[in-house]
Amino acid sequence: MRPQKSLKTTTRIRRSVPLLGHEPRFSATVSLMLVVATAAVVGVAGQLFASEPSQASQLFFDGAAETRSLVDNESVKTFGDLKGRDARLQLLVSGLADDGIVRDFTRQVDLTVSPTGLVRIDSSGNVVPLANGTAIVTATLRTTDAASESDAQSYAPAQATLHVSGVGSEPAISFPSQIVPIFTKLGCNGGGCHGKAAGQNGFKLSLLGFEPQDDYQRLLRETRGRRVFLAAPERSLLLTKTVNMAPHGGGSRTEVGSYEYRLLHRWIAQGMPYGDGAEPQIQSIAVTPDVRRMNTNTQQQLAVKAIYSDGSVQDVTQAAVFESNDPAMGDVDARGLVSLAASVGDVAVMARYQGHVAVFRAEIPQLPLPTEIQWPSERNVVDQHVYAKLRSMNIPPSPRCSDATYLRRVTIDIAGRLPTAAEQAEFLSQPEDLRRDRLVDQLLGGEDHADYFAAKWNVILRNKRPGVDLEFGTVAFHRWIRESLIDNKPYDQLVGEILTASGSIASNPPVAWLRQVPDTNQRLEDAAQLFLGQRIQCARCHHHPYEKWSQADYGHLAAFFSTVSKRDSGNRELPRFTWRVGGASAKHPKTGQSLPPAGLGADVAPSTAEQDPREQLVHWMTDPSNPFFARSLVNRYWKHFMARGLVEPEDDMRVTNPPSNPELLDAVAEEFVASGFDLQALVRLICTSNTYAASSDAVSGNVGDRKCYSRYYPKRLTAEVMLDAIDTVTGTKTSFAGVPGGTRAVALPDTAFDSYFLTVFGRPEANTACECERAGDANLAQSLHLLNSEAIQEKLAGKTGRAAGFASLSDVDQDAESNVRQLYQIAFSRSPTADELSVSTRYITGKTNHQEAYEDLTWALINSKEFMFNH
Amino acid sequence: MLSILGKTSRYCDGVSRRGFLQAGTFAMGGSALTLADLNRIEAADGKGKTQKSVINIFLAGGPPHQDMWEIKTEAPSEIRGDFKPIATNVPGIQICEVFPKLAAMMDKAAVIRSVVGCRGGHDAIQCTSGWTGQELRSIGGRPSIGSAAAKLLGSGHPSVPASVGLAKITKHVPWSDCGSPGFLGAPYASFKPDGPGMKNMVLGGVTLERLGDRRELLGKLDTLRRDIDISGSMAGMDAFGRNALDVLTSSRLVDALDLSKEDPQVVERYGDGKPYQFQYDGAPTCNEQLLVARRLVEAGCRVVTLSFGRWDSHSKNFDMVRDHGGKLDQALSALIEDLDQRGMLDDVTVAVWGEFGRTPKINAAAGRDHWNKVSCAYLAGGGMRTGQAIGATNRYGEEAAERPVHMQEIVATMYHNLGIDTHSTTINDPTGRPQFLVDHDPIAELI
Repeated sequence: MRPQKSLKTTTRIRRSVPLLGHEPRFSATVSLMLVVATAAVVGVAGQLFASEPSQASQLFFDGAAETRSLVDNESVKTFGDLKGRDARLQLLVSGLADDGIVRDFTRQVDLTVSPTGLVRIDSSGNVVPLANGTAIVTATLRTTDAASESDAQSYAPAQATLHVSGVGSEPAISFPSQIVPIFTKLGCNGGGCHGKAAGQNGFKLSLLGFEPQDDYQRLLRETRGRRVFLAAPERSLLLTKTVNMAPHGGGSRTEVGSYEYRLLHRWIAQGMPYGDGAEPQIQSIAVTPDVRRMNTNTQQQLAVKAIYSDGSVQDVTQAAVFESNDPAMGDVDARGLVSLAASVGDVAVMARYQGHVAVFRAEIPQLPLPTEIQWPSERNVVDQHVYAKLRSMNIPPSPRCSDATYLRRVTIDIAGRLPTAAEQAEFLSQPEDLRRDRLVDQLLGGEDHADYFAAKWNVILRNKRPGVDLEFGTVAFHRWIRESLIDNKPYDQLVGEILTASGSIASNPPVAWLRQVPDTNQRLEDAAQLFLGQRIQCARCHHHPYEKWSQADYGHLAAFFSTVSKRDSGNRELPRFTWRVGGASAKHPKTGQSLPPAGLGADVAPSTAEQDPREQLVHWMTDPSNPFFARSLVNRYWKHFMARGLVEPEDDMRVTNPPSNPELLDAVAEEFVASGFDLQALVRLICTSNTYAASSDAVSGNVGDRKCYSRYYPKRLTAEVMLDAIDTVTGTKTSFAGVPGGTRAVALPDTAFDSYFLTVFGRPEANTACECERAGDANLAQSLHLLNSEAIQEKLAGKTGRAAGFASLSDVDQDAESNVRQLYQIAFSRSPTADELSVSTRYITGKTNHQEAYEDLTWALINSKEFMFNH
Repeated sequence: MLSILGKTSRYCDGVSRRGFLQAGTFAMGGSALTLADLNRIEAADGKGKTQKSVINIFLAGGPPHQDMWEIKTEAPSEIRGDFKPIATNVPGIQICEVFPKLAAMMDKAAVIRSVVGCRGGHDAIQCTSGWTGQELRSIGGRPSIGSAAAKLLGSGHPSVPASVGLAKITKHVPWSDCGSPGFLGAPYASFKPDGPGMKNMVLGGVTLERLGDRRELLGKLDTLRRDIDISGSMAGMDAFGRNALDVLTSSRLVDALDLSKEDPQVVERYGDGKPYQFQYDGAPTCNEQLLVARRLVEAGCRVVTLSFGRWDSHSKNFDMVRDHGGKLDQALSALIEDLDQRGMLDDVTVAVWGEFGRTPKINAAAGRDHWNKVSCAYLAGGGMRTGQAIGATNRYGEEAAERPVHMQEIVATMYHNLGIDTHSTTINDPTGRPQFLVDHDPIAELI
């Protein structure tokens, strides 16, 4: 691609141009068509790098489908038909610059229309029709100051033709498709206002307008009809409240004379029609562009189109609601203008209209570095896709971490504990090129790995004692999980055995899941969140606000669990669960309609009365083509090791919350499926990658990276791991009531053991299937506990503890140095630096009470960030 | 004493507070910075303005609404009771004769005579959170005002907790409940001066000098770079670690709880509430706790909750009101006057209320029984439009006749006065669902 213009100059143009607001403006039923004058123009982001402008940089209108014009057989850009005088259209004008980035010029062009009087276009490119006819729109880069003039000339203007039709007729306004979106756009039916279950100050709307029939009834029938007043529409409460003329708790949502106000007014004046039901139904929405590479501190206008059942397409940009998944990185305003901040990375902006969602993703690369980046070798698919992402973002990876760091890191991540001295020696005795891989294999084969991951699964499977005392069922289920991990049971089998469990806990421990998750609703919600990464619980009461899942989808899923039944076994604590023979079905939460079992987005599962429907569920879930099952597990494990899920939160995977590196997630999920759902193989894949082995130290150019895994992101030790590690360093043991002495915190069968330490450091209570229950927030109580609690001081000063041992068994002047070395090895798995060694040794020898001195040193080490974090 | 620890304006690593702010902000990156972080940083910077806070005084057992702020003079004697109304310094508002001092400062307060939405539980939970214990029970319940403020705002000063519950455990335990952290979990629980967290706030086991040595050693050895962390928790741990050391050495919190540091004349003005009467299984009338509450909000607490007296007057209702009311009149008037004199009244919201009202009809033991159809509340300060009586009960005091005010509206008003917008603020529960703090709006008449 030949150089066209520099980044610097274009940004200067953008900054120097004030926003204009004086272009004429239009309104009518329209059929708009943009005919682009130059054939070289590209319109879709995916084609940007394939085709290039033939001459000097060319502006173009993007987001349009290419057709042949019937009139002159020229290439034509069609934006779809806009029906009704209330149509609006968002124009997007872009240009391709020499840095390979398509820049949005929508607000920096002059849009001239010929002949005038047909449409009105405002300064942000929003078109409204005025009269029927065909107009040519020309976009010319504005030249408002001399400095930018020469640059501006290097962008050739673009032309398009607009066909306007249907203006002048007065079709009946449709309540569901024209009025309800206004309530969503203005925030009236949000969860904080009239959309909440109890409504607001006596007026309730359905959440986000999913129940237009109900909304219609409430508007027309409640409050003796004061809400809408046909004789004097402007006196309707609906309008006076909306503009805060009548006191309104939500303040003014729009102004008199706004588009929304006029539409509401006209709807009331028409006699509040509902619509005849014959209107085309919305099928989906699409956002243009869908993905774009952008520079930091730039803007991009979005356009949203709705596709209807009759094939028509309508621009709904101004009626859609926008939301960014990371507003600090890129925010979006009510009109769909995305403004990026200075951060590098990805940001997703969701557009929502009438229950449909679409996502725009901006990739924000760093400016190329002055020096060549040194790329480590690619050991597996993890490295392949992480480095591809880093390359495209111009972010350099950190170099490999030291062996000592890797040993501590991977031991904590896989086995949930500090490495032992023996492990350190063994590790260092191995050949350099093999030691890391061998270590991973060794850790995966050990029981500590099963303990650590059993604790992780135990919590989200909600396994805990039902009463005050630990009882058999809880222990049995925990042990079953642990043994499944020791056996490396394939994940599909593991999940299947839990979801289809029948019998008593004594003979089949995973039955405990049915006891812990006591009703059908919770079972399907937990199953969806745990094994599919889908938060379907929203759809119990209303359509999922950010997903396509409806209450019917919820009911279909519930049906799988509808025949589970609890049987008295003579022991209240150990109930038996079986399934009833008979047709499985669940009621639609709203309509009461009977729904058969069906997976999310899947057809109704063929089932017979003789088959447990849960087996159908597992069959659908664990099918290699299931889009959720493998991905959700991969994302969960990825987060465990890499600190940040490819999707965050890790169990909320939806179209509107896209992964930061989709190719990586797909590739790892594919490997996971191909391995036969081998969990240990997945851990091995991640931990033996060079990505995982990168230093946590930042290098120039990656300190700002938060999502691309250019380095290992440190994680605070979890409550249990930290307590065990403190025990190890201080040479003491914490005892827990009811389990054998020496049981480590991480190996406890549930999370109900009394421990202030574990509570204050955020141990979850296993109330939900969400990993987020484990609170990672730092707080004052934690710091106070670590710095000043009796419990910690007792560990430091224990008679059989490490400090006492050092003080009594060694000669201080002779052994201080080796004791300090030993302490550093235990706590940090490394030798102290010369500086640390001299500071520590001097501290020990300088004190008259040597035991206290060792206690103080141990205190300082366990209170340091290097100890509290896996880094 | 403090000098051995070096200059407190510098952190162990020699970075100034301002320097930390910059480093911290940098490390935490854009979106990882929460409102609470900003508040903490602002607090650590010592530049925070007078901060908004709440003193929530729970009248356990349910005060008789008809013997407090609205005397039903037109009701027959078996309903009316012993008390006469007295005029206040706001024309047109009369309250019970046992509150002469409060009557003289009615312009600084608002009474609500028509509180509704009481579920009838004999506990503090609706007054501390706006919810009953049933909502979201399976995931831990709804957080209290104190815990939500701890999550959303953080403390106003690094070395005091955001939320403190002063009530000592009562025999009927739910009356001394200072509010549960609910689904937010233990890290956001209110500090109790007798709880395990409190013990950690007082230096124990090691001397101050030894702590100084340890601190210095930690400063030299804790060298891991904070900016490598993307979660913000490293910076958080660092900041809290320093705050914790400040707590242990500055004794700001311990001092706030120690009334011997207070001007004896001020202590006298609040009174001691003795002799304690009608206490049984409830809290004593600890007038001093209102003074402690003032000292705590002055030190930086966001929410202080306490339980005052036992108002469950199934018998001897009028004797109880005379006793508790007189003591409350003294302590509450002293608190409001004190806050006013210190220029804090606009920032500190004082709420005084119980879990429900009491039966209109006086029973055979001269008592009144439980009545959850209507209740009452007294609110002062917080920048509210005071000097008002809101709502009214019907002639017999049976139910709200005008402007029913839901209990959640009072809680929403407290949130509003803390600077938390209940319309837009949500906290994600453990299932990941965003939860609004309350379902009702703040009281429009007051804000």
